[in-house]
Amino acid sequence: MKFKIKGSLYDNKYLAKLLKRIVLISFIVLLVVLFNYQAINGSYYLKRAENNYVRAIPLYSLRGSIFDRNGTALARDQASFNLAVFPYQIKNKKNLLFEKLAKELGISEKTIHKNYKKNISGYFSPTNIVFDVSKEIALALKEKHPKSLLVNPAPQRKYLMPLSFAHILGYVKEASSLQSQFKEYGYKPLERIGIYGIEQYYDSYLQGQDGGDLVEVDVSGNVVGFLGRKKPVSGNDVFLTIDSKIQEIAKNSLAKKRGSIILIGSDSGKIIALYSSPSFDPNLFIKGSNLAPLYKNQFSPLFNRATQGTFPIGSLIKPLLAIAGLEKGKIKPETTFDCKGRLTLGNNIFRCSGSHGVQNLEQALAHSCNIYFYNLGLILGPKTISRWLKMFDLDSKTFIDIPYEKKGFVPTPKWKKEKFKQSWYSGDTLNLSIGQGYLHTTPLAITIAINAIANGGYLVEPTLLKKIGEEKAVYHFKESMDVGQKNLNIVKNGLCKTVSKNSGTARILKNLSLGICGKTGTAQTSGKPHGWFVGFFPAQKPKYTVSIFLERGGSSHQALRILYDFLNNLKQNNLIEVE
Amino acid sequence: MPYLKKITRELSGLKTITLSVILLNLISIISLYSSLHQQGQFVGETLLSKQITWIVASWLVFIIFNYINYRLYYNLAFFIYAFSLVLIGAVYFIGYEAMGAQRWLSFGGLTFQPSELAKIAIIIIMAWFLSHPPVNSFLKSFFLPFSFVGLSALMILKQPDLGTAMLVVLIAFGMGLFSKINKKYFIWVLIFVLIAAPFSWGMLKSYQQKRLTTFINPNIDPLGSGYTIIQSKIAIGSGQLFGKGFLAGTQNQFNFLPERHTDFIFTVIAEEWGFLGSLFILLIYWLIIKKVFDKLKKIRDPFAYYLTLGIGIYFFLHVFINIGMTLGVFPVVGLPLIFISYGGSHLMSTFILLGIFFNISRNYK
Repeated sequence: MKFKIKGSLYDNKYLAKLLKRIVLISFIVLLVVLFNYQAINGSYYLKRAENNYVRAIPLYSLRGSIFDRNGTALARDQASFNLAVFPYQIKNKKNLLFEKLAKELGISEKTIHKNYKKNISGYFSPTNIVFDVSKEIALALKEKHPKSLLVNPAPQRKYLMPLSFAHILGYVKEASSLQSQFKEYGYKPLERIGIYGIEQYYDSYLQGQDGGDLVEVDVSGNVVGFLGRKKPVSGNDVFLTIDSKIQEIAKNSLAKKRGSIILIGSDSGKIIALYSSPSFDPNLFIKGSNLAPLYKNQFSPLFNRATQGTFPIGSLIKPLLAIAGLEKGKIKPETTFDCKGRLTLGNNIFRCSGSHGVQNLEQALAHSCNIYFYNLGLILGPKTISRWLKMFDLDSKTFIDIPYEKKGFVPTPKWKKEKFKQSWYSGDTLNLSIGQGYLHTTPLAITIAINAIANGGYLVEPTLLKKIGEEKAVYHFKESMDVGQKNLNIVKNGLCKTVSKNSGTARILKNLSLGICGKTGTAQTSGKPHGWFVGFFPAQKPKYTVSIFLERGGSSHQALRILYDFLNNLKQNNLIEVE
Repeated sequence: MPYLKKITRELSGLKTITLSVILLNLISIISLYSSLHQQGQFVGETLLSKQITWIVASWLVFIIFNYINYRLYYNLAFFIYAFSLVLIGAVYFIGYEAMGAQRWLSFGGLTFQPSELAKIAIIIIMAWFLSHPPVNSFLKSFFLPFSFVGLSALMILKQPDLGTAMLVVLIAFGMGLFSKINKKYFIWVLIFVLIAAPFSWGMLKSYQQKRLTTFINPNIDPLGSGYTIIQSKIAIGSGQLFGKGFLAGTQNQFNFLPERHTDFIFTVIAEEWGFLGSLFILLIYWLIIKKVFDKLKKIRDPFAYYLTLGIGIYFFLHVFINIGMTLGVFPVVGLPLIFISYGGSHLMSTFILLGIFFNISRNYK
């Protein structure tokens, strides 16, 4: 049966058409959206799909180790265990998990949150939250939170003689890598970069190349396929010219005093020991410990006094002045000046440490007679003195392979005029002649300058590098000063008398029977004076050049006492060749 | 083969729909097969065979309904409506929970969603009301039928199943809009809702508001906000023009798509078959819906007219909202893609509606 209604109550045709049109328009809207996603932005979404399932798992490379000249390890990579999480896995229980972890590890919850925020690089990327826990603790925690935690082993830099080598080695720091090909997979790797010291200077050799596995993962982060591997390449080992035993003794000799000890090979400029006190523990930088005390310390332990500190050098200038005088023919070895303990210039009185009487050059050096060098200075004049000090490179860098070296300063009349709008007075010349006033230089620079007297007139370029991997370092940076050997020997002999002569300023070193020659220095400061000694031994054919600097140490006597202990220790332990 | 001849004769004029539905069934099986893979492993033997069983059963039910004269529903309209309410109510007492919502009833081994039946019941009861000559009274011609719809929708909402509740209301509204009900009533209601909504929103406590927003979009979560939608968009977009190929959808295979064999099956198809595949699917649905609405021109019985209208709107809204949802155009509400998504209840009701439509068609050739 059919229930037909007569006539056309409804305009069905029109309604059907309208309905179809609505459907058609709706579907076209869907097609436009689809076209936008699939055709116009298709490649963008394809990339995102790949990011979803392709994951880079880093394979860390080992950074090259650093050894001393005898193969003793100074810095090397060790396995450390970090705790990481996958952000998406802990999205609902993050706070609770961090709270528990903080309790279990005895660290602050804040630190964990901070690390999480700092290291999160993607929803599906492992994010380190706790660093450097012991293997046992890491595994125990993993067992407690198997679904949330990931033990993420990574190499960590370890400094084995941290205090002795802090200034020489520097440390490493994690920084975002610039070169990684994993970036496009949302993984921002961290690279360890050398900061300061050998770690920075030879960074390109020490640095390895990180590798990685490209894998396919499912939504739970389970690896379901392997796409490829780039093997990590280890960095090169670096061998230093330093003798770690001597370095250690240098550290112990200076103990709590401020200053530096430098021991180099006289001919080669190879550095056998270079220690700046106070020092610091570079491992603190690796562990991310609180560094504020280090930065706030009033004695600036981070500062390398041997290469970055410039100080007045006092009487250490005298042998350099002597060379200038002899070379310029202004004095002869037998030229004498009469020391009555003081020299009057206008209204000013310039003093000597004693009343030495008539002094020739040799005696003047042995006694460190100021009067002799006041007179020599006045004869030479400031311009000549400055020129000769510059010839000894006191105002330039030594180009040691430790970054951030500072250069010293040699004043000139011209400089004074420009700087202070004042003329250069004779008093300035007198001050300069005994290493006071505006002149200042690094302990290393003055060591290299006096070393030139020991090795026959060569300014060596100091270096710490023995070899990289199997490549031996080449030493050829040696600059001749063109100073007559005769004059050099005259000054050298004078320096030997400071020790060998019973009235010599460094006579206490005589007991060592090392044949040491050298010069003491006491540099006046606004506070306690700096104490200096730079010397070389054995006298006939110097092998070693040694220097000690005591910052506000009182006088050269304190410096000599420490140096005596240092050298005595080396001798007792057969660490230096003795004739 | 007299039977076959009879069937083909009876299907004449409905060939397009029949073939289209068969095609969708095949697409359903193929895409379910793909969506039930994990990392190259087929893990859904039970689900797939279950679905094939449902398809076969649905075809049988379809043939039965094809022979039931549609006027029967006119007489049984209130009974069917009441029955659907009873079943929805029964869910609270004997239904079981899945995915945080009580929607299923179990008869023996067969689970069934009564809210699917409610969609059919609403189409029938609306057709019943609308087929009566309209009176110029808001209460009688608008309020009365829509209070039946509202009651049903509220009960579905309680399950909670916002998607179906909304769909029931939308189907009823759609049918009403194409009826003789005075259109100004709709405008009144619309204005009332627009005015009342902000007030009632402000009256809600913040936790209630939050519950409502997550209710509308269950995938809002603080860390992976709209995770499902983001993954769905990535999957669809990465399919590009020609797709990644059968079983080669990485979003699908590596498990990045939740609900991918049910509500997000279209995402799987779009990822593996690209824009061309998506276009093809929409084309088939267009053919079916177009044929249903075309029939309206020939129908002279108001009840049959409104039934057909409801059925067409039902098909259209399911397809439009489901696909729009996978594209992020609509919020994520639990609506299946008819004929393709996994699930027996909606397949059965869709085929029942198809059977009713076929019966009407044979009456108005």
